[in-house]
Amino acid sequence: MKINQKIFLQFGICIIFFGLIGILINNLTINLIRTGLGFNFSWLFKPASFALAEHPLPYTSSDSYAWALFIGWLNSLKVIVSSLILATLLGTLIGFARTGKNSLLGLISAGYITTIRQTPLLLQLMFWYFVGFLGLKDNMFIQIKNIFNISNQGIEFSGLIFSSEFLALLLGLSIFTSAYIAEVIRGGILSVGRGQWEAFRSLGLSERKGLIRIILPQALPAIIPGLTSQYLNLAKNSTLAIAVGYSDIYAINDTIINQTGRAIECFIILLVSFLLLNLLITNTMEIINRLILKSRKNI
Amino acid sequence: MNSIIVFIKNLKKTLFPNLFNTIITLLITLFISVVCFNTFAWLIFKANWKVVISNLPLYAFGSFPLNEQWRPASWIISLLLLSIFTICGPEWKWLRKNLLILWVGTIPLGLYLLYGGLGLSPIMSRHWGGLTLTILLTVFSSLLSLPFGIVLALCRQSSLPLIQKLSSIYIDVMRAIPLIAVLFFGQLLIPLFLPVGIEIDRVWRAIFAFTLFVSAYIAEDIRGGLQSIPNTQIEAANSIGLNQYQIIQFILIPQALRIALPALTNQSIGLFQNTSLMAILGLVELLGVGRSILANPEFIGQYIEVYVWLACVYWIVCTIMAVLARHLEQRMTINQANF
Repeated sequence: MKINQKIFLQFGICIIFFGLIGILINNLTINLIRTGLGFNFSWLFKPASFALAEHPLPYTSSDSYAWALFIGWLNSLKVIVSSLILATLLGTLIGFARTGKNSLLGLISAGYITTIRQTPLLLQLMFWYFVGFLGLKDNMFIQIKNIFNISNQGIEFSGLIFSSEFLALLLGLSIFTSAYIAEVIRGGILSVGRGQWEAFRSLGLSERKGLIRIILPQALPAIIPGLTSQYLNLAKNSTLAIAVGYSDIYAINDTIINQTGRAIECFIILLVSFLLLNLLITNTMEIINRLILKSRKNI
Repeated sequence: MNSIIVFIKNLKKTLFPNLFNTIITLLITLFISVVCFNTFAWLIFKANWKVVISNLPLYAFGSFPLNEQWRPASWIISLLLLSIFTICGPEWKWLRKNLLILWVGTIPLGLYLLYGGLGLSPIMSRHWGGLTLTILLTVFSSLLSLPFGIVLALCRQSSLPLIQKLSSIYIDVMRAIPLIAVLFFGQLLIPLFLPVGIEIDRVWRAIFAFTLFVSAYIAEDIRGGLQSIPNTQIEAANSIGLNQYQIIQFILIPQALRIALPALTNQSIGLFQNTSLMAILGLVELLGVGRSILANPEFIGQYIEVYVWLACVYWIVCTIMAVLARHLEQRMTINQANF
């Protein structure tokens, strides 16, 4: 009796659910026919005919939409990976400062964390872009022996050129994420028992050595999951690149929709590219996690 | 006298224990004083606050018609008064019990004041803007996404495999895509999915997209709450003869909500900050007002003043929300101790 009821309930919900989906798809097809667009992906191989300011691989405006999307994906990956590294370094330092003995340092890092966390990321990005980089005058070159130039065009470092859009995004994302990573690190450090601190102190290890060699390895299992979710957030937040004009995967999808009007197809492409990015990040973190566990077993 | 000596000793111990720390402390003090000095000099002498002061009504109400601006103003002020009252009001029992009704009452009040009708002149939603619109987006999206999130969480915990699969797919997909994509495609796709002739305006499309996005996150928070309820609770409820729906209504949801409360309040603070994304997508909320003012030739280039001011506003509202949330959490734990 009970099992019959369950099957019946599922069946009913299924009918309602697929009925709703059917109505939505019906509306969608009517609307698509009305606007004369239809649903296909053959436009992907037509020339994109828009220029990209930033492309790690060769790209001209006569290349296909598919290639432009791939370049956008690479651009996303570039800014995500570099701000991931910077945010981790910065966040670790601030997390250490927050848990350290020096109360002044603790106070400053607490202030930093609350200020960053209580203001929207988009506002911060616009601040770094419009005030931090475009605020520099074009003739105000800060030069150090022609190796290192800063201007409102970006930074040139021995032949490598980083555009100001990329740098503003990098800075904004790293600073924003570092405040969250600092809290993750602090939580991890606090999860290690006080006895461990007393033990390494009584063995005569210095504070710094003890923190790095005794406390941090034990805190890592508690830190890694939090870190992974922050990295995923970072990847999602990187789509705000459109606010500063950096051509990441979302910005290119946006341009293509404006050109061709193919919203549904672009939504599916964006979904797939983000699933790929998420898989990349979670799998890498999983491998790192396994390496850490393995190295601990060896000890 | 004694306590001062202890304080100075503690200070010495934490700030100047050895040479390395002493140098760091001195450097930080120097750094702080230079930064503070420069900031104050900028705030008082260099900054041109005309861009903020002369546009205050714009930041608060957007392009709401001038002679009707008392309506959103009275809504915001009533919300503010209610927050102050909740945090530090007197402890009258009958009033405390009715506080929730007052809070719920602000929602139809806000809708009435903004939309008009019934004696007030009607105003289209495209005239809404500024802080009013930001608060409106936050309040309505979080209100709608809470029940939706609870249902999703219950479905994900359900023993019926089909329902469980469907809701897990929804939650996982929503959590994998960035918010701005959801909002953008919400603006583009919602009209496509509706039958010909029915239209929803931009504000409600945004609220709908926010609801779809946030409810997936809320569902995960509530699922955490549900999972941390010990099995004995369900067994106890079964043994006193409650049926499945009564268990969900009286045992599971109240406890799960209380456990998930800190996470839920964090979600709504995050939602408040994320409403700023609508500035890129064509709604003139708080950040959108800032952008349109900066596009005005009269105020061109005054980025720092506007951004610092907006950051302060966001910071203040976030802090008020956080204090309210802490207050709520404290009351919840007191209630539990009474049982």
